[in-house]
Amino acid sequence: MYKVRIHCRGGQGGRTAAKIIAVAAYKEGKEVQAFSIYGAERRGAPVQSFVRIADGPIYERGYITDPDCVLVLDASLLKTVNVTDGLDRNGTLMIVNATKPLKIKTKAKVVYVDVNSIAMKFLGVPIYNTTILGAFVKLTNIVKLKTMEAAIKVVLEKMPHAVEEKNVQAMKACYDVVKV
Amino acid sequence: MVRQLVTGCGAAAWAARRARVDYVPNFPITPQTELIDGIAQWVADGEWDVEFETMDSEHSVMSAAVGGAAAGGRVFTGSGSQGLLLMHEVMYIASGLRLPIVMATMSRGISAPITLWTDHTDFLDNLSTGWIMFHAQNNQEIFDSVLQAYKIAENENVLLPVMVNMDGYILSYTVEPADIASQEAVDKFLPRYNPKHAYFDPKKPPLIQGSSVLGDYYTVFRSQQHKAMSNALEVSKQVFKDFNKQFGRKYDVFETYKIEDADYVLLVQGSMGTITHEAIDRMRAKGKKVGMLRMRMIRPFPEAEFSKVLKNAKGVAVIDRNLAPGRGGIMFPEIKSALYEYDVDPIVSNFIVGLGGNNQTVKKIMQIEEKLEQDVKKGKGSVDWNDLEPGTDAYSILSKYKK
Repeated sequence: MYKVRIHCRGGQGGRTAAKIIAVAAYKEGKEVQAFSIYGAERRGAPVQSFVRIADGPIYERGYITDPDCVLVLDASLLKTVNVTDGLDRNGTLMIVNATKPLKIKTKAKVVYVDVNSIAMKFLGVPIYNTTILGAFVKLTNIVKLKTMEAAIKVVLEKMPHAVEEKNVQAMKACYDVVKV
Repeated sequence: MVRQLVTGCGAAAWAARRARVDYVPNFPITPQTELIDGIAQWVADGEWDVEFETMDSEHSVMSAAVGGAAAGGRVFTGSGSQGLLLMHEVMYIASGLRLPIVMATMSRGISAPITLWTDHTDFLDNLSTGWIMFHAQNNQEIFDSVLQAYKIAENENVLLPVMVNMDGYILSYTVEPADIASQEAVDKFLPRYNPKHAYFDPKKPPLIQGSSVLGDYYTVFRSQQHKAMSNALEVSKQVFKDFNKQFGRKYDVFETYKIEDADYVLLVQGSMGTITHEAIDRMRAKGKKVGMLRMRMIRPFPEAEFSKVLKNAKGVAVIDRNLAPGRGGIMFPEIKSALYEYDVDPIVSNFIVGLGGNNQTVKKIMQIEEKLEQDVKKGKGSVDWNDLEPGTDAYSILSKYKK
């Protein structure tokens, strides 16, 4: 089973990102489960979202304490949330939205991506949930770029077409920028 | 059949739509909001032509549901936690008037202190309301149970309202795959509602309400309600058979897993079924003779069936994700009395866990099994708060404030 944990703040779209990853993996024939935890429904509060991806039925539920990949959408969370929790195993990966390396204690591979500048360029707002998925695709190989593109379109279906397109472009731009 | 990704709320909304429900009075509450959201979106987009009515409170929602069902409509709504408690008074009226309303409930711990997260105290607060009660373990079962619920509720020998419960967030807001059956397939299983006793006709008013009665009449009405509830058990079994024939998915009043030769049985409810399933597999791999019994139908309570499958067990752990302060887990005494009734005598322990959404894991389920084995060795059942064990967050909070 492949487990993804997303850290963000309320309003930054971690929940939607989890759903998009689930939709993409499901499109590629996997079994999936996407789930989020948050306290009160308010913007700015720390939120965690989880995705489980497997070849067979998924019976586990609840928080993911031993993720294979962690996405951090807001680097300021590093001060208050233990985002590296359970990340000590080999082969785990952490993708952080930041312009430069930060002090993070972990044995996992940490990749810093300036998601903010890409999101601002394509979307004009500091919302990174779709953009960072480009890095996720490139670094994990869990789903294909084409599938991720289709998944964004499915989940953002109710949005105006232009918004949908911009999100796909931002995701692709992030994919191009990230080096494996 | 279209297998697709849905939340628990989405599965319930799809079931209501496929059941060709006439009327959905509603009021939102976390973690049920996406149900209302989803249906509202369909109505706004012109995808589903249903009488969708937003109300000022849950008390009004259930009152409107009673009105809608008394006028002969197929009625659906949903709630949970504080909202469900506010409906409570009118829920007795719905069952007393023998109205086949179906309601999805999204379990959430009850205030105070306020929590948004799941436990089953709100759902199990309804044990004496006269509603048939189902508890689902995944989004597929939510969809399936709502369809089954209408078929059971509208049966001439039943005519009672039904609740289909799901764990808030853990199912209601969790995306997972489920088969959403086609309209044609559902129509075959659940034809259009043709009410025989409830209808709106001023020239021929049905006797449904208003009469104040003395104890003799009242006793007759109540005993008939009780009889209808017993009928519901047999009717449900037939409905499960019909459902299996149409959709190829087997259901029963409860689900058992590797219970036939099990010395130790873990008894759970709701979404804990799937993590217990996983725990059983891991423990079986180590050679442990463990099994699961997941309660699905809570009312009517299938006590004879329970006792039959538990008769070979050495120990039974009743895992209650709920609390009746001063008594313990709510299902604990229910199970014990069922076993006593049928002369089945395993060691029975009560585990009170997962309150207010306290995260439950495969590991925790395995801990519970260890404790049950210890109890069997000691020859005496116990009451255990597994979430307060040293090493848990709850334990450190407790230690901090203990003088």
